[in-house]
Amino acid sequence: MNRRALAIALAGGLAMLAASPATGRGTQSGVYTTGQADEGARIYAARCAMCHGAQLEGTVETPGLVGKFVANWAGRPLGNLFAYLGRAMPQNAPGTLSPEDTTALVAFILRANGAPAGSRPLSPDAAGLGRIDFEAASLAR
Amino acid sequence: MQNRRGVMRGTLALAGGLALPGSLRAQALLGPAPPLVPMRLSPDQLIDLKCCIRPLRAAGPNLGTETVRDRLVIHNYGHGGSGWSLSWGSAEVAVGKALSVLPDRIAVVGCGIIGLTSAIVAQRAGLAVTIYARDPIQQTRSFRASGSFTPGSRIALAGPAGPQFPDQWEHMARYSWKMFRTMLGLPGEPVAFGDSYSLSDNPIERRTWPADPAIAARYETTGLPQQNSEFARLDSRIRDIVPQSVPLQPGENPFGTPYATRSSHMYFNFPAYSHLLMTEFLARGGRYEMRNLHSPADVGDLPERVVIHATGYAARDLWQDHTVIPVRGQTGWLVPQPGVNYSIRSNNMSAMAKADGIVIMNNNPDLGEMLGVGDSMELPNRAPVEEAMASLSRFFWPADQRGAA
Repeated sequence: MNRRALAIALAGGLAMLAASPATGRGTQSGVYTTGQADEGARIYAARCAMCHGAQLEGTVETPGLVGKFVANWAGRPLGNLFAYLGRAMPQNAPGTLSPEDTTALVAFILRANGAPAGSRPLSPDAAGLGRIDFEAASLAR
Repeated sequence: MQNRRGVMRGTLALAGGLALPGSLRAQALLGPAPPLVPMRLSPDQLIDLKCCIRPLRAAGPNLGTETVRDRLVIHNYGHGGSGWSLSWGSAEVAVGKALSVLPDRIAVVGCGIIGLTSAIVAQRAGLAVTIYARDPIQQTRSFRASGSFTPGSRIALAGPAGPQFPDQWEHMARYSWKMFRTMLGLPGEPVAFGDSYSLSDNPIERRTWPADPAIAARYETTGLPQQNSEFARLDSRIRDIVPQSVPLQPGENPFGTPYATRSSHMYFNFPAYSHLLMTEFLARGGRYEMRNLHSPADVGDLPERVVIHATGYAARDLWQDHTVIPVRGQTGWLVPQPGVNYSIRSNNMSAMAKADGIVIMNNNPDLGEMLGVGDSMELPNRAPVEEAMASLSRFFWPADQRGAA
């Protein structure tokens, strides 16, 4: 490898490091519990379904929370989604979800998009969530 | 045809008069005005409800600049209920700032009417443009507006906007007006004019909103406007080009109400307009990429070094600009009716014919600009729309025949 190619490879590696969270832990590795997702489903029905739809399908005007949703959020730390839900949703009463409820909703949304449950609960800790990569769906699973 | 009742009533009033005003003499020479096709305002015609949040920004639209990492960000958001109406003038301001740093390509974040128009203005100036947006224009809040030329609607609060803002607003409004004129008469009528009748049992006067001294709180103390007198009122600055209401003589009023005015209003047909803009954007080599930005830092990941930020109400969260105040509005949409090409309004309930339907609005006349302020609930409510349809039906059909249209 000549020096120029090495520099390009190094730059590419750095770019990848910058774009992905610090640890290798991603949403396909079981980052929430079934209990959390069940709790999230209950909260979703009460606070979110009125706009986003009972099946998370959305409308022409309100974003769905499956499919295209992953394209809008994946490749980034899961903390981004957690922070957004906590400060901006529900739109008619932003900032009214507790951190625990927000975590449960994140778990519910992950499950709806095919991410598997695991044995350890997702913690409402912004720094920890910032180290979890929101990974692409694994539809073949 | 039931509206002949109205025409007949007008004719009877004419027969009782002695001196004929000039306009009636002209009518006698030219024959009676052709009758209007009555609107069908029955509930079965209601095919859509739309609700959206206007981004009222107390100081007026943000057209400022800032740097994020090494990216120059030029803001173009926060146009209240005036985004469509000011789109060309506001884009000209934002793109002008972009051009001043001599880029050959820029990014536009957001694909509502402000983002898409900014993109095209940049292309017309020779720049390569990529739009990054969560949704194309047809799914943005812009598409859920009512679509009339209302450049002064909830555009700013007079105090926070400061003494320079009215001049800037006037420039943007006049610039936009001329640009809309270039789109008249095109296929699909992206921009059109229609007659708008205001109908009343009482003399029609322009409503004014003097400050209520009993209301001590105001935007500066609460973060929300508290009364109508806080809003900037700018429309009179362009009344030399924008048609104003004229009172109708009894023989000119097709509806037979004791009082009526008529104005010519400019409106936008969303399907044709957005098709026209998207076609030009793509024909000029524009690229659209679905991307949802989550924080200002994400701008630093875009390849373009100059970015026009045009996310409207979403800027409140994306840019953490809490001076953006939500102002809820909603419309009902009826099946388009061939031959119906006018609007009526009474007691701030209105029905406005457009290419993609008749728009029904029911805006409480006593709330004025305060209606919906601070309300970010974006689900529509059907009842006020049905109330307006039932009320306005009286101008076309007797009570015992309503719903039979």
